[in-house]
Amino acid sequence: MNGTEPFKIPPEAAFATTYDVAIVGSGVSGALIAKTLGALGLKVLVVEAGPGEDVTIGEYTKSVERFYSAVSKDNNAPYAHSRNAPMPRDYDAVKLRDSQPNDRGYLVQNGPFEIDSTYSRVLGGTTRHWEAKALRMLPDDFRMQSAFGRGRDWPVTYDALAPDYGRAERELGVSGNVEDQRYGGLTFEDGYVYPMKRMPPSFLDKTMAKDLDGFEVKVGEQTFALNVRSTPQARNGIPNPAYDGGKGFTPTGAVSIHQAEMGGRCQGNTNCVPICPVQAKYDARRTLLAAMDTGNVHLLARTVAFRVEVDGTTGRVTGITCKTYADKDAPGHVTGMLQARIFVLAANAVENARLMLASDLHGSSKLMGRNLMDHAYLLTWGLMPQVVGTGRGPLCTSGIEDIRTGNYRQHHAAVRFSIHNDGWGWATGAPYTDLAELVDARNLTGAALRRGLIDRVGRQLLLDCMIEVLPEETNRISVDPRHLDQLGNPRPVVSFHIPDYTLETAAFSRRLTRQIYQRLGAEDHTRYDPLAPGWVSHDGEGFTLRGGNHWAGTHIMGTEARTSVVDATQKSWDHGNLYLAGAGSMPSIGTANTTLTLAALCLRTADAIAAELSPGLATASVSTHCQEIPA
Amino acid sequence: MSLHRITDLAGLHRHLHAAMQLEHATIPPYLTALYSIMPGTNTEAFDIIRAVAVEEMLHLTLVGNLLNAVGGTPDLTVHGFVASYPAMLPDGEEDFAVDCQRFSPEAISTFLRIERPADLDHGEKGGRTITRKKARGTVKAGHVGPETEEHFFSIGEFYKAIEDGLDRLHADMGEALFCGNPASQIGPEYYYSGGGGLIAVTDLASAKAALDLIAEQGEGVTDTIFDEDGEIAHYYRFQQLLLGRYYRAGDARDKPTGGPVPVDWKAVYPIKTNARLDDFTKGSDLREAALEFNSTYAIFLARLTCAFQGAPEEFIPAVGDMFHIKELFHRLMRQSIRGTEGLNGAPTFEIDRLKDDPE
Repeated sequence: MNGTEPFKIPPEAAFATTYDVAIVGSGVSGALIAKTLGALGLKVLVVEAGPGEDVTIGEYTKSVERFYSAVSKDNNAPYAHSRNAPMPRDYDAVKLRDSQPNDRGYLVQNGPFEIDSTYSRVLGGTTRHWEAKALRMLPDDFRMQSAFGRGRDWPVTYDALAPDYGRAERELGVSGNVEDQRYGGLTFEDGYVYPMKRMPPSFLDKTMAKDLDGFEVKVGEQTFALNVRSTPQARNGIPNPAYDGGKGFTPTGAVSIHQAEMGGRCQGNTNCVPICPVQAKYDARRTLLAAMDTGNVHLLARTVAFRVEVDGTTGRVTGITCKTYADKDAPGHVTGMLQARIFVLAANAVENARLMLASDLHGSSKLMGRNLMDHAYLLTWGLMPQVVGTGRGPLCTSGIEDIRTGNYRQHHAAVRFSIHNDGWGWATGAPYTDLAELVDARNLTGAALRRGLIDRVGRQLLLDCMIEVLPEETNRISVDPRHLDQLGNPRPVVSFHIPDYTLETAAFSRRLTRQIYQRLGAEDHTRYDPLAPGWVSHDGEGFTLRGGNHWAGTHIMGTEARTSVVDATQKSWDHGNLYLAGAGSMPSIGTANTTLTLAALCLRTADAIAAELSPGLATASVSTHCQEIPA
Repeated sequence: MSLHRITDLAGLHRHLHAAMQLEHATIPPYLTALYSIMPGTNTEAFDIIRAVAVEEMLHLTLVGNLLNAVGGTPDLTVHGFVASYPAMLPDGEEDFAVDCQRFSPEAISTFLRIERPADLDHGEKGGRTITRKKARGTVKAGHVGPETEEHFFSIGEFYKAIEDGLDRLHADMGEALFCGNPASQIGPEYYYSGGGGLIAVTDLASAKAALDLIAEQGEGVTDTIFDEDGEIAHYYRFQQLLLGRYYRAGDARDKPTGGPVPVDWKAVYPIKTNARLDDFTKGSDLREAALEFNSTYAIFLARLTCAFQGAPEEFIPAVGDMFHIKELFHRLMRQSIRGTEGLNGAPTFEIDRLKDDPE
């Protein structure tokens, strides 16, 4: 890929230009919209709050090295922290006491639940540290209210979104096996195959499948047979020659503006989160550089959106005031105004809401920032009876999906389970903590230490239970003038509690995983620390729940301005030339990581913007959008 | 390798065997320079050399596909397949030998000669092939005696001779030339990178596409730095290291104007050039590591041979071999050789010696 210059647009030049579309955020949402519109010849500016680096292999390698040398291997460990565009760090989440907010990190945590979710303010956004699971949401997830009397319905059905899921799977480069995805009402177009073949199941997956496949579980009134199934993921594997009617698929390799042909095929480094050392994992820089290659897209980095300016009469956005800094830490910035025909906020569910609220734009529904969702993760861990090769392959190659939906959702939340190839790391800090224990507590050295580590780490199994959280208006992002960052931007204030609907499934999942460990002959080592952040109790039993970094719902999508923030194309009901893009638009998150679904939504948004700005250019798939909104 | 003008199928097979040897002969010197770079330093240089080395592996596979397509049998395990360094290239360039040496200006200069464009200072000499006696030190696999041979100034010219031969045979035989089993073709499932993918060879068009890809990636199309797909040729990639700057689109030869390519020639393991097993004391860890390297490399070549001979799934475990090979590179390069003035070990690539004289 060529073209260094678009990465270095001087701020004064960017602020002096009226673009067709200005996009706040270079993550997956913004990059997909930029690429689609740039390819149609529209002039696009992408604004990124972070330093905008990592467009060469050399820069990327620095991030990998930063991660290797970091003491805390948290989600943002590979990325240089910037005082002018700070990021949440999971270690900032601490147990809240006496309802005192925790403001030690970038997020201000109001509680009552302490959420350890994060996001990344770097080029490519949070896809830089995501794991790249790319499951589709189930048809039932889109009709929670009509099917189960819970949550909200989407203004779009699964069937309507299915072609966009296909487009998103192409853009992200998903490896998967359609046959493994036939459960819970999921349907695929006849003959559809994923762009790449499924990631090969790990030895651990196969070991578990032997004991688990066909295991029958009663949930509510229904009985489900469990099966270990491959997990679709946006990771480079083996291209499927049958893809696209036999045309095959060409994976995108490592990102670089210089030629550094790294194929980026997964080598099983088991380091997907927070950074893949060989760039096998999709991140939005791939899409962004393709957007740049159209010649119509500029990037303005080190620029934080400060205020959305609105014409009081028409409600239209007249510009977005931004602050551009030179040094990532030193105070000092220049202020300018983005000018465009259409504006897109694609800064993630937290930052989109934060920016709108900081601009005093609460929406006619007053729902801006409300209905905050994330997945609640219950972690369980044990030791398998034999060495299972922990520490090889992507973090997860398989999961248990069979109870992702069912009538039980009238009463409690949906759940899916991931089988972790990376051992207990997420729960206990393994293998470092194991090493410390074997050396310090058991006094092992030399060969005995090596054997001890293999026996201990090589048998580790971690099963995560990914539990649905439904939208509730009291779960929210807000702003408070008492909490500002260095640039003077209000920091996000998070108020979150875990509903009983979700806790009920946490208790169920703990019971089920105990049974699973018994079937596997594994020692269950799961322990929850009542003093840890995220500790909750339900019916006398305590658990620690962890965040999933799947922030959603803060500019929720619906059928009317009174009860939602955006329409089915992610267009603001209140501001005719403003789109709020990303997981913030989602009315439910089911049991799928949000990225694939928000990517599908953003491709539709790009079509809608194209249709609005240059009807002649729009692709055929555009014309159906508006009709899908039920009357 | 006696390389006469290609007049029959056997001649084509001989040229293609030589081409596989040629592609492989670049890999030990490239990997030696690559892994001599101390981890975490010279990242730009590391990426440039790595990218070229990976494309040589692609070229090796493309030639394997071509040889399979015309009914030949790729074999990377034959005696003499792995060059003995210093080595002359199997296509017969006579003015330089190739060493396995540390990352250094000398190494890069050699790499530039390996990848030099046909027209660099040679175009006016009329005719691209020099016909004379076999030079001493060329890779000896398949030699039939001291005969008159074709020698080529550049790899590109060598491939042009293959293409001409392919054309002549195709004129005689038609598509019957492509009598190989299509199931032996290695497809894009097993290789991809930014630099183009594998081409299954089943007819004249796909055969020429494979040859074009090799030639373009090596030295560029005449007089250009970038090929049609915007990919920079190996010669100019390496040149960036000596000139300290990246090329970008529109640049003239020798005058890159892109970002800087910082190089630290000192952040390199001081390895011995063309190390031999006999440089390492018997029973020492270096000796053990060198032996393990050679046997691992032999296993790797045997696995690739299986993959080329109808079991492409063998490429997957071969990836694991490559990790093992990299670890052994580092194990050797981090230790100094007893009795030398601070010279470190390196792989010896004495694969045949392993077979002749197992320790």
